Amino acid sequence: MSMPEPAAPPRRRLLTARRLVPALMILIVGVLVLAPLLRILMATLTPSGLEAWGAILASPMSPNLWWRPLMNTLILGLGVSAGCLLLGGFTAWLVVMTDVPGRRILGVMHTLPFMIPSFAAALAWGTLFRNSRMGGSSGFFEANGFVIPDWLAWGVVPVLIVLIAHYYSLAYPIIAAALSSVGADLVEAAQMTGARRPRIFFGIVLPVVTPALVSAASLTLAGAVANFAAPALLGLPVRMQTLSTRLFGMIEIGQAERGFVLALLLIAVSGVFLFLSDRLVSGRRAFVTVTGKGGRTRRFPLGRWRWPLFAAGFGLAMLTTVVPVLVLVSSSLAPQTGALFSNWTLHFWLGEGGGQIAQGNAGIFRNPVLIGALVNTLKLGVVVALISMVLGLALAHTITRNKGTVLANVLSQLAFLPLLIPSIAFAAAYIALFGAPLGPLPSLYGTFTLLVIAAAAHNLPYAVQAGRSVLGQISTDLEESARLTGAGPLRRMWAIVFPLAIRGLLAGAILVFVKMVRDLSLVVLLFSATSPVLSMVAYRYAAEGFMQFANAITVLILVICLAASLIAQALQARVQKWKE
Amino acid sequence: MVSEPKDAIRITNLVKRFGDFTAIPGLSLAVPPGAFLVLVGPSGCGKSTLLRMLAGLDEPTGGEIAFMGQVVSSGAGGVVADPKKRNAGLVFQSYALWPHMTVAGNIGWPLKVAGWDKPAREARIDEVLALLGISTLRDRYPAEISGGQQQRVAIARTLAPKPAILLFDEPLSNLDAKLRIEMRSELMRIHRATGATSVYVTHDQVEAMTMATHVAVMNQGRVEQFGPPVGLLKHPATTFVATFLGTPPGNLLPARRQGDMLVHAGIPLAPAALAQGRDEVQLFYRAEQISTAKGTGRPVLRAEFSEAAPMAGRVMVTATVGPIRLSAIAEEQPDARPGDGIDLSLSGAPDAVFAMSGERIE
Repeated sequence: MSMPEPAAPPRRRLLTARRLVPALMILIVGVLVLAPLLRILMATLTPSGLEAWGAILASPMSPNLWWRPLMNTLILGLGVSAGCLLLGGFTAWLVVMTDVPGRRILGVMHTLPFMIPSFAAALAWGTLFRNSRMGGSSGFFEANGFVIPDWLAWGVVPVLIVLIAHYYSLAYPIIAAALSSVGADLVEAAQMTGARRPRIFFGIVLPVVTPALVSAASLTLAGAVANFAAPALLGLPVRMQTLSTRLFGMIEIGQAERGFVLALLLIAVSGVFLFLSDRLVSGRRAFVTVTGKGGRTRRFPLGRWRWPLFAAGFGLAMLTTVVPVLVLVSSSLAPQTGALFSNWTLHFWLGEGGGQIAQGNAGIFRNPVLIGALVNTLKLGVVVALISMVLGLALAHTITRNKGTVLANVLSQLAFLPLLIPSIAFAAAYIALFGAPLGPLPSLYGTFTLLVIAAAAHNLPYAVQAGRSVLGQISTDLEESARLTGAGPLRRMWAIVFPLAIRGLLAGAILVFVKMVRDLSLVVLLFSATSPVLSMVAYRYAAEGFMQFANAITVLILVICLAASLIAQALQARVQKWKE
Repeated sequence: MVSEPKDAIRITNLVKRFGDFTAIPGLSLAVPPGAFLVLVGPSGCGKSTLLRMLAGLDEPTGGEIAFMGQVVSSGAGGVVADPKKRNAGLVFQSYALWPHMTVAGNIGWPLKVAGWDKPAREARIDEVLALLGISTLRDRYPAEISGGQQQRVAIARTLAPKPAILLFDEPLSNLDAKLRIEMRSELMRIHRATGATSVYVTHDQVEAMTMATHVAVMNQGRVEQFGPPVGLLKHPATTFVATFLGTPPGNLLPARRQGDMLVHAGIPLAPAALAQGRDEVQLFYRAEQISTAKGTGRPVLRAEFSEAAPMAGRVMVTATVGPIRLSAIAEEQPDARPGDGIDLSLSGAPDAVFAMSGERIE
C-alpha cells in the first residue's frame, strides 16, 4: 500500500481555485446588494429607528407620512398598469393579429416611448399644461387663452397620463411576443369547432396570453410605484405625495430613519405585487412557452376599420414620442411658452447672461455648472457601464460554470435581487450603509464613488443577463476547437472569445450607459449639490420654474442617449462584419 | 334527380390563387362515403391548400366543394358554410392543442361550443379517451405529455364531436419512425371504428400506399392520377406518379429509335413498336426488373456503383448511368466500392413506356 499520490497537490490547488472564484463573487455581490439592504433594515431597528416606525405607521402624522402616500402610490400603480394593459394590449393586437397597414413601422414606434425618460414626458406635459396656480410662467395652452383646470395641470391625472405614456411601451413588446406565439393553428382549431370570433378570443387567445398580461401588468405596476420623476415634477407642487417622493423628502430634510422606514415599506409594496404575479403565472399553468411550432399567425381582416385603427395606433405613437420631444426642443428655443414656435432663439443654449430673458441667466453651454454636470454624466455612464459589464461577465461565467450547484443558485438569485428594489429605495439603502464612516472607510455620502458603486449594483441584473447571453453565444466547442490547434488561453481569449463576445458586451454596456445617463431616481438621493449630473440639474431647474433650461438639458440627455445607441449600432456593424 | 348514391366529397373545377400565384389551377375529384383519401405529393404541390379549403379555413377563388351533395364552398360566393356547418374535423400537423386547457378540457371545448350538456360531454370525453387509449392523461396539460400522446389527444379532440368528415394535415410528420408506424395502424383502426370519410395529406408515399382506399397524387396544383393505391402502383399514368410511388423507386431510361429498336447509350433495349411512332420515349423499369446477375440475351448497362442497402433478405443497389440514377435488386451484396463499374441487366420488356412529356403511351 505504498502507492504514491502524485496527483494530490495539484488537485487540491485546483479545487481551492475553483472554490475561490465563486466565493469571491459571493463576497462582492453580498457587499453590493445584500449589505445595503441588511444595513437599512438594521438602521430602522435602533431606538430612533423604532421611533420612526411608530411615527410613520401609528401616530397622528401617519396619514400624512404613510397612508396618503400609500393611497396615491397604489392609485398610480394600479391605474398605470391598467392603462398600460389597455394601450399595450391594443397596440400589440393591432400589430400582431390584424392586417393594419404599416404594421412594421407601428411595431417599432410603440417600443420608443420607453426610451424617453419619464421626466422628459413630465416636463413636456408641464410645458403644455401647467397653469398659473403655482406661480411662475404658465404653460402653452393657458398662455393661449385656454383655461386649464388644476386636475389637468397637477396631481394624479397628469402623473397617470405621463406614466402610462411611458410604460405602455414596456407592456407592448411583452404582450406582442405572447400574441405572436399564439399560432394560427390554435385559432383555426377553435374555428373548426364552429366557435365565433368573440368566443375564440375569450376562450383561446386571451387565456393563452394571460401569463404575459400578468407579467406586463406587474412590471408596469412596479415601475409606476417606484417612479420618482413624474410625481415629483407634477405632483409635489400640489402636495401630492407618493412613497418615493415622501422618502426623498424625508432624507432631504435629514429625517434619515423615517426615510429608511419608507424605503423598506416601498420595497415591501412593490415586492408584494411582484410576488403575487409570480405566484399567478408559475407552476403548471406557466404554459406560454409550450407551443413554439405555430409559425404562422392568423391576421384578422379589419375591413373598413383598417385606416381608422392605423390612425389611432399612429397617433398614440406620435403623442408619446414625437410630440413630447418636439415640445421640449421648441420650448428650449422659444422665449415664451405661450408662443412655442415663434421668436426662436438659441439664448437658452448659448446666450450670454445679463439680458432680459431667463432672469439674466446664461445659456446652458455657458454655464460652468452645466458643463461640469455634462462631464460628470458622461463619466458616470462610462464608468458604470464598464464596471457592471466586467462584473456581469464574471458573474455570468461563474454561474454557468457552476451550474446546478447551490452556489450558482445563490449567486444568480442575489444578482437579480436589485431588479425587485425600486431604485430610490436602493439609493436609500446605500445611504444607510455608506452614509456614515464604515470602519476604516470614510463616509462616502455625496461622492462620485458611492454613486458608481450603487449604480453598478443596481444595474447588475441587466449586466448578468447580457453576460449570460454573451456566454451562451460562445459554445464551449468553439473554444475547445481552438484549444486543439494549440492556442494558449490568452490567444484563445483574444482570437475567439473576444470577437464573439464583443457584440453582446457592447449592447449590454450601451444599455447600462443609457440607463445611467437618463436616470433620476437613483442619483437624486446619492449626488451632492456641488457636482451634479445632468438629470439632477434639469430636475432642479424645473423645480425652480426655469422650464426652458430644464427642457434644454433634457433635450441634451436625449441627444446623448440617441448618439450612444447609434454609435453602438455602427460599432457592432464594424466589429462583426460576418453578421449581415 | 337520379337517386344514385351521393359522393361524400365532390370537388368541381376548384381554383385557388394567392395574388399572382396560382396554387391550384382547376381541380376535380369525387370521393365516396367512408373512403380514406390520401392526398400525396411533394411539398408545395397544393395538397395542404386543398385541405384548408375543405376545412373552410380558406376560400376558393373558383369552382366549388360539396359535402354529401350540399355545396359548402364556392368560388362565386366564397365560403358558403362556416366550419361548424360542414360537420368536418381537422387534425393539425402541429397538433394545435390549446396549452391552457387540460387534455379533457381540450377535448371538451368543441363539445361545449356545440352546446352539449355536461354529462354528455363527460361521457363523450371518456369514450374518445378510451378509444385512443389515453384515459390516464385526462387531467394533464399538453406541455406535460409526450409528442406521441399530444398527437393522440389532437385526434381525440377532432373525433369528439363525431364529424362526418375527418381531415388530417400531415399528422405523423412530427413523430419518430417507430411511433409513426404505430400511429398508422392506430389511425386505420379509428377510421374503421368511426366510418367517417377521411382526407389525409402527406408527402410520405408509404403512408399513402398503406392507409388509403383512394390516392390522389398531386403535382403543381393538379391531380396527376387518382385511384386505389394498388392501381396507381401497377398502372402509373405519368412519369411523375411512376417515380413518386413505390419502394424502391422505379427507373426511367430515355431511349431513341434506331431502326426497329429503342436504344439507350448504344444499347438496344426494346422493340421500336412500343414507341408507337415516336422517335424518343422514356422506358420504365421497376427495381425488381433490374439485377446485377448476368442473364443471357438481356440488355446490359454499364453503370457506376454508388451504394447498396440490405432490404427484406435482398439488396437494393443504387448505381448511376451518366446523370441517371438507377435502383436495382440483387440477391447478394455486390463486391464493389463506390465509383467501381458494375453491370446491370434489364429483364425483358419495360413495365411501361412514357412519352418525353410524361404521359403514358404503353
